[in-house]
Amino acid sequence: MKYAYYPGCSSEGSGAEYARASEAVLEALGVELEEIDDWVCCGATPAHATSHLLSIALPAISCAAAEKQSLDILTCCACCHSRLKQVNQEVKDDPELRAKISGIIEEEVQGSLNVMHITEVLAREVGLESIKAHVRKPLKGLKVACYYGCLMSRMPEALLSDKSEYPMLLDNLMDAIGAEPLDWPYKTECCGAALTLTQTKTVIRLSADVLHMAKQNGADVLCVACPLCQANLDMFQGEAEKLLGERFSIPVIYFVQLMGLAMDLGTKRICLDRLIVDPLPVLAQKGLIDGAVYL
Amino acid sequence: MKADLTDKALHSEFRRKVEALSGQNLSNCYQCGKCSGGCPVEPDVDVSPTRLLRMVQLGLEAEALSSDSIWHCAGCGTCNGRCPMGIDIVRIKDALRKLTKEMHFGRGSLEAWTFYESFLDCVRNFGRLSEIGLMGAYNINSGKLLTNVKKAPWFLMRNKLGVSPHTIKRIDRLQRVFERIEEIEGK
Repeated sequence: MKYAYYPGCSSEGSGAEYARASEAVLEALGVELEEIDDWVCCGATPAHATSHLLSIALPAISCAAAEKQSLDILTCCACCHSRLKQVNQEVKDDPELRAKISGIIEEEVQGSLNVMHITEVLAREVGLESIKAHVRKPLKGLKVACYYGCLMSRMPEALLSDKSEYPMLLDNLMDAIGAEPLDWPYKTECCGAALTLTQTKTVIRLSADVLHMAKQNGADVLCVACPLCQANLDMFQGEAEKLLGERFSIPVIYFVQLMGLAMDLGTKRICLDRLIVDPLPVLAQKGLIDGAVYL
Repeated sequence: MKADLTDKALHSEFRRKVEALSGQNLSNCYQCGKCSGGCPVEPDVDVSPTRLLRMVQLGLEAEALSSDSIWHCAGCGTCNGRCPMGIDIVRIKDALRKLTKEMHFGRGSLEAWTFYESFLDCVRNFGRLSEIGLMGAYNINSGKLLTNVKKAPWFLMRNKLGVSPHTIKRIDRLQRVFERIEEIEGK
């Protein structure tokens, strides 16, 4: 199994632990990655909010490069995935747009590939049975609130073909590694997304709601698959606690970090030390890591 | 709000522009309110998505473009997912944001535009986004020098910031892409 890998810009900054842990888990499960040659930023919200053409041209450059490699695209970032998948579909369906964009980017783009999110590849292509077979230390007793946020569950063209109001992809993965995924109502609420810099108060209010609901439902950790969700829920947790006058201390962990933990890939490789709310105390308390080192 | 329901108002130039930019037919909205029911930022705004769509239907240009709701939109797509008529409301908001720039409207627009432009400048210059570069550029360009500065020590301690932006190989081609699009869109 081999994919053209689109790491996305956050893989070189705030979301580096997500990229490193994803690469480690995929390698352990026998999925090969070939980085898309000279990939370009997908443009995210600033591109689609300001120029429709730019919002298509930027992802199209990376799609065209992947087409040369003749491999389906795999990406971990929920935002990059939504943009690439949407653009791939639009250029495939609309010959006029395809010609126009190919002219703009000086390269033929067909939209002939599948654009896959890492959760789809793991749950459907690798398969839950194969993942179960790789588990060395099941995460027994760890109550996990799986948080999908908006980009993984919505946007009509980018749907993960999962239930948009109550998705299960992450829950199934957490179940496969022996953790306890919770039935809770805020799986797809919005954390405030790209408003981080411009409307910080809104982001804090929305993130506080998600954290409060996770706590109420007895979550030990929040499990995420989007670098923006992770940053908002982790970075603003202190402000969220002040806003609601409530203590959360809920680690916000990428699902691949939990998978790497269960597959015993080593805490260094899955970069648990890069999260702001320290996950080590709760993991040690549950007996999932060597408590003597951390407590 | 007094609404003009004459034929002229219902087929306004403003409505036509929004429909052209967004590729959506505003007549499809029958004001059921599901978009507002699910909107996560609805409590923070003066005009709900349902009312915003009604304003555009009625050609109320000034009211629509000066509402803060287009700047509070997180682009989460709950409205799109729940619209029984399949209207892409996120694209309508994108269209309204573009029009505020043309018309110089909007309270929240300075911060948002500064964010968009700081982000896209970085992509244009390097091909990829540098988060530290974006935060620095946003704080300088918006004049809000202390935005999220309190978060910097965490980021440094956790080694969360890439050292320098990585420049792609074919940066010349990318810059021509930006230029061509500006030419086509007439900036």
